[in-house]
Formats: sequence, structure tokens, C-alpha cells
Amino acid sequence: MEEYVKIVTRDRLYKDEMESLMTKFLFLEIVRGMRLTLKTMFKKPVTRRYPKEKRQAKPGFRGLHALVRNPETGNAKCVGCGLCAAMCPSKCIYIYTREGDNHEKVVERYEIEVLRCVYCSLCVEACPFQAIALTETYDYAAFSKQELFYTKDRLLKNWDDFMTEEKKKRYFESFWGPKTSFFRENESQATFKGKS
Amino acid sequence: MELLWEISIIVIKIVVVVSVVMFHVAYATYFERKVIGRMQMRMGPKEVGPLGILQPVADGIKSFFKEDIIPLNSDKPVFYLAPVISIMAAMSALAVIPFFDGFIISNINLGILFILAMSSLGAYGIVLAGWASNSKYAFLGGLRSAAQVISYEVSLGLSLVGVMLLAGSFNLNDIVEAQSSSVFGFYAIPQILGFFVFIVSAVAETNRPPFDLPEAESELVAGYFAEYSGFRFALFMAAEYIGMIIMSSLAVLCFLGGWTVPYYVLYLFPFLGAVPGVVWFILKLYACIFFYYWIRATLPRFRYDQLMALGWKLLIPLSLLNILITGIAKLII
Repeated sequence: MEEYVKIVTRDRLYKDEMESLMTKFLFLEIVRGMRLTLKTMFKKPVTRRYPKEKRQAKPGFRGLHALVRNPETGNAKCVGCGLCAAMCPSKCIYIYTREGDNHEKVVERYEIEVLRCVYCSLCVEACPFQAIALTETYDYAAFSKQELFYTKDRLLKNWDDFMTEEKKKRYFESFWGPKTSFFRENESQATFKGKS
Repeated sequence: MELLWEISIIVIKIVVVVSVVMFHVAYATYFERKVIGRMQMRMGPKEVGPLGILQPVADGIKSFFKEDIIPLNSDKPVFYLAPVISIMAAMSALAVIPFFDGFIISNINLGILFILAMSSLGAYGIVLAGWASNSKYAFLGGLRSAAQVISYEVSLGLSLVGVMLLAGSFNLNDIVEAQSSSVFGFYAIPQILGFFVFIVSAVAETNRPPFDLPEAESELVAGYFAEYSGFRFALFMAAEYIGMIIMSSLAVLCFLGGWTVPYYVLYLFPFLGAVPGVVWFILKLYACIFFYYWIRATLPRFRYDQLMALGWKLLIPLSLLNILITGIAKLII
């Protein structure tokens, strides 16, 4: 018969037999555990009482959607190119455009079905005009599905409510900005400028 | 006229004891949640009233107004009867507990035996609840409870034999008197083995963690009362907490000196003699109940075979040894 080499070793729990015996008979392990729970009892609880004390979301948090309002025109920055909707993995963005009176493109409806959104922020990265954002707001639960189907007006209102100028700068520059700044116009190239 | 007077005295005593005990049961749930919460770095109830102090009231109202669901295929009469048996057994044991000198509803000579008998009768409530619910979880819980209560009843009874030998009486009043005139002032030191066996068996007897196998949440949903709801559920809960109070007061009376203070403590601090006995009793009782919560927050649940092995292989031989030692010491001295 072969000699087996013992390779699985176990750390010795006790220094000697005496200690092991004492531990067993005086329930030292249980006593140690009970000392721990008693000590813990006088520590400060780690509970955050959520509805009463809300945490500020960390920078870069992807929360409630907002459409960026152009401060000059007072309207949405969105031009209705549909890149966000094309990029959206859960296909929860619906855009309806029409031709305006001066033959420009008018975004008639811009809707987000929030319940289906996965908050990946791919729409934000895809947007060449920085026209959509995810704000830091996270508590917007509602009682019906209809309330969480955001139309254009509601999304613009979100922008007014939750994104200050400073926050907007931080978001687009630190987190989502670089990807749009890659697409710089070539001077010699003919580009569509639109009728502004 | 004499008889009427005695009966009215007893009725008044019963009303006082039941109302005080039910108040304690309500707030025992509150303090349990609070203590265990703090031990697990949570906060416990905090919303109802200042510091959540009205939480038991809210729970009581809730249990009254909840829908009383009775399973379709349950054994209806037994289903109705089980919580009543449970609470009856728990509450009738209160009759023989002396809360302080001279305050006892019925001063019978077999006080300890009566309490032990009633705590075993409580197992009927649990077993019948498990049987009548017609649910496998409840049934398993009931079976486990029967096995557990029967095996720990033995060591619980045997651990008290040492006390009976030393005091020479079954009467709880006499036991407390005998303790206050003994050398140490209470029996927890000379009966250290018996005290240890008593603590472990009392926790197992009341189905409290770490021996809460009959209602092991993670295995049996809620165990024997899985099918009960509303007020019947509240009755089971109340029975469990009354059982805890009874076991704690038995520990206080038989091992910790009841409402008395050891004479050497009184010698050192004479002003403590002015404190009424009921205060000492209640303080010791609270300490015992806190101990229940403390081990609940610390220890994980025993496995079923470990529980049985602990009961039959360790606690019963230990209590027999304790009886032997106590008997020999009693003979010699």
C-alpha cells in the first residue's frame, strides 16, 4: 500500500490541550461571541432612515432623464436626429418629427418610457448636441405607469428642476463630454449648418 | 361573606397579574426588537410614537383587525382550540409564581411541579396547531416541538431537583425563604451545574433561539403557526412570551434568590433594604429576559440532531451528576 502524504493541513485552533479543554468546557467561544454582540449594542447603528434623510447622489449618478433646454431659444436643444433612440438598448425612446413652416425639422414629440429604461446613459453618449442628460435625482416613484411615461414637457421640466448650470457643466465635461468633442468640424469640409 | 371576600381578593390579584404580564408581553416584543436591532447595528422600531414606543399598540391593533384566515382542509375544531390551549397553559402557570413576599394568586405546595406540568401542556397547543393546519411546514414544526419539549422537559425537571433537595420543598415561597437563609444568599452558586442546565433547557423549552427549531424561519416558513393569522397568531406569540417570562421568573425564584437580596450585600449597603422586594424581582426578571435576547442575537440555530444530542448526551447526565453531588453534600452537611 502506498503511503499517502497529508497535504491538507488545518491550522491549530488552540495552543495546547489545556486551552482546547478550557474553551470547550467554559464555552469561551460563545462567551466571545456574546461579548461582541454586547459591544455592538453600544455602537451607532449604520441605518440611514431613507425618506427622512436622503443621500446626495454621487457625481456621475445616472438617475431621472431630462431634455436640455437651450437658454437662448427656451426650447429643447434636441434636433430630432434619432441617434439616442437608435442607440437605446431597451428601445424606450420615442421621437416624432415633422416639417415646420420654414421647412425645418421640428421635434413634435419626444417621449421616454422610464419603466423600461435601464439607465445605461448610452443615449447621452450618443447625442451629438448634448441635448439629453441623466440627472442625479433618484426618488421619483409613482403610483401608475402613466405617470412614468415622460413627455417632452415633463423632460424639459426635469431639466429646469434638477440641473443647474454648474451641474450641467460637470456632467458633460467630466462624464459624457469627451465623446462629443471628438467630432470636430473640418474647416474645409462642407457641412450642414441648418437655418438658425 | 368570608368566602366572597377571599374570592374577590383572588379575582383582583388575577386582574393585576394578567394585566401587568400582558403589558410586559407587549413591551417584551418591543424591547426584543430594539435590543436585537442595536446588537446588529440597526435601530429597531422607531416610527410609531417617540422612539417607536407605541409599536406594540400598533401591532396589537393590527393583529385584531387582520383577516382571520382558516385553511380549507384544516381540522377546524382543533385549529380553533390549539391557540387557546397554548395561551391557557402559559397563563395558568402564572398563578403559582410569587412576585414578591406574600403576593401569589394560589400558594400551593407543588408550585414547581405545576409550572413544569403547564409548560409541557403548552406543547399540546403547538402539536395540535401543527396537526390541524394540514400543512407540511406546520406539521414538521409541531413534530419538532413535541420531540424538543419532551426531551428538554426531562433535563429541566432534573435541574430543579438540586434546588428542591437544598430547600426541602416544592413550594416556591419556601424555596426563596430557604435561599435567603443559605450561605451564598442564592442558589446559583452552589447549584452552578443545575443553573447552567436550567438556562439551556429553559431556552429550549420556550422554543426560543438558538433552539427555535419548531418555528425555524429559514426552513419551515413560520413553523407550527405558519397557517395562523390575525388574533390567533397573536395568541401564539403571547404564549411564547409568557412562557419566556415564566421560565425567567422560575430562574429568578429558584436560583437568583427571588425578591430577596443576599444578606452580605445588605450588610455592605444597608440602604438597599428599603427597596421593595418586587423591584428586585423585576430587575432580576429583566436581566433574565435580556439574556434571552442576547443569546438570540448571538447564536445561530442548532441543527436538529445537535439539539437532541445536546439534550440527551450532555444536559441530562449533567443534571444527574448535579443531583448526585447535591445529595451527597446534603447527606454530609
